Amino acid sequence: MLPPLLVLTLLVLWPAVDALRFSLGLVPAGNVNYTTGLDLIRSDHPTLAVFGKLFANAAFARDLRLTLFVSVTATLLLSALAYALALYGRFHRGRSTELVRTLYLLPMFIPTIIAAYALTTFYGDNGLFEAMLARVSIGYTSPIRQAWGIVLGQVWVGIPFAVLMLSSGLDGIPEEQIDAARDQGAPFWTILTRLVLPLNVVPLLIVLTFSFIGIFGSFTVPYLLGPTAPNMLGVSMQLNFGSFRQPQLAVALAVFSFAVCAVVGYLYVAATLRQNRRAA
Amino acid sequence: MSRAVTPAAPTGAGWFLGVPALRRAVVRILILAFGAFLLLPIWTLLLWAVTQRWLYPGLLPQEFGLRWWQWVFTNADVGKAAYWSFTTAPTVTLLSAVVCLPAAYAFARFDFPLKRLFYVSLLASNAFPKLGLYIAIAALFFRLNLIGTFWGVVFVQLVNSLVTMVWIPAAAFAAVPRELEEAARDVGASPLRVFFSVTLPVALPGIIVALILTFLGSLDEAQATLIIGTPEITTLPVQMYSLVSSYPEPVGAVFSVLLAAPSVILLLLARRYLLSGYLAAGFKGG
Repeated sequence: MLPPLLVLTLLVLWPAVDALRFSLGLVPAGNVNYTTGLDLIRSDHPTLAVFGKLFANAAFARDLRLTLFVSVTATLLLSALAYALALYGRFHRGRSTELVRTLYLLPMFIPTIIAAYALTTFYGDNGLFEAMLARVSIGYTSPIRQAWGIVLGQVWVGIPFAVLMLSSGLDGIPEEQIDAARDQGAPFWTILTRLVLPLNVVPLLIVLTFSFIGIFGSFTVPYLLGPTAPNMLGVSMQLNFGSFRQPQLAVALAVFSFAVCAVVGYLYVAATLRQNRRAA
Repeated sequence: MSRAVTPAAPTGAGWFLGVPALRRAVVRILILAFGAFLLLPIWTLLLWAVTQRWLYPGLLPQEFGLRWWQWVFTNADVGKAAYWSFTTAPTVTLLSAVVCLPAAYAFARFDFPLKRLFYVSLLASNAFPKLGLYIAIAALFFRLNLIGTFWGVVFVQLVNSLVTMVWIPAAAFAAVPRELEEAARDVGASPLRVFFSVTLPVALPGIIVALILTFLGSLDEAQATLIIGTPEITTLPVQMYSLVSSYPEPVGAVFSVLLAAPSVILLLLARRYLLSGYLAAGFKGG
């Protein structure tokens, strides 16, 4: 029991608290990496000056808008696609089910950075996709290096986790209940919305929250598939930390994303608890 | 999965689609589109890996060849990156197993105060935006002189494996029928013997899934290594960041094939385990 908690404390809790203090202007003396950064705001007592400066920055507002757009769009698209796939895997019988099941597992085994690279070679300017469309005389504007390019990449890499999660929920629904509803002549949509969806709310919530948080803080996909400006917050964090030598700004961005994701995480926990209480 | 016991669907396409053949065709097209969406980018990459010259708007390369493979294999940076990748990933997997598996067993078999809280707090480590956490960890590692070191990279990756390595094996341990263990005890087996001859073998598929996912996660991991490991420790995925931006297409493609190969081999070996629901079982909690 102790070892994982030790790891948790040393590698999550401690750095997080440290980051919070630094973002509040309390610059630790012993930390060379923090103290040598540019544009430091130093204070003896906690201050919101760093965040004030951050929120006043026009670039931050643009980055945040892009991040929210991508996170929400990609999460919704991913969940819809994954739900369709999970339903197909659950209710369809036949050879194609096995095929679909193998297909949706595939991205799990392709490192994210390779997936992002593969997507740029296929969907990018003068890529194979454009060449294919040109054969049938369809015009094409590449989504790569645009906001939609990031959405595309996030959906691609997010599929296995989302489908596996939703499938497990669907597999848990007793066959008898569905048969009973079917015997009474309920059409598919009624069974889906009245029976399957309500029984499957928790896995769906897990997929929604985890996907949102994962995409919100992502780096590789927006770095390789997104525009050079504005950047998603993850990319902006890395640039500020590495290239721009502004660790305090990077850490403040990190703390800000922790806060956003904590709110999303809280919504998930609250919803799960309510669901459990209703079920009990 | 209770799919085997259900009566056969009235039509081949499944009852939920309604009957018309038109709908069946629509579903076929959708599956085809999904397959294309997933596979065509990979196909493009595979083609690039064996390409000498490929000019737009050709659907196939104009000239095939393996020149770039030689370039990749003789490049010293790539060799070094491969070395770091294949030393860190197994180390992370082993260390994470040592740290997490006893805890997973404890979660599944014992009751103790604050159990639920501990269990959920592991989730918290995954509910962080990862990059922010890595940056916070980097600042800490600077102080501990772990930046740019092998162990720094291993430790930071340990964070990622916590949830996988505790939850999935915990679910697997919890699924081992108590009666089996008690039966073994009744015929005089020691607790240790029961664990190694009964509990462990039954829970093994779940543990294997966790080990595979941790190994692949570590092999795939680029962001933490980029922040903690640079400049000394660059693994293959980290090398990829600079390769894709500053070299011709085939280099990135050859590299991708090399990097994805271990994963695909594991996919083929472990597909059965991965589909059997251990992954999701872990998330349901024990």
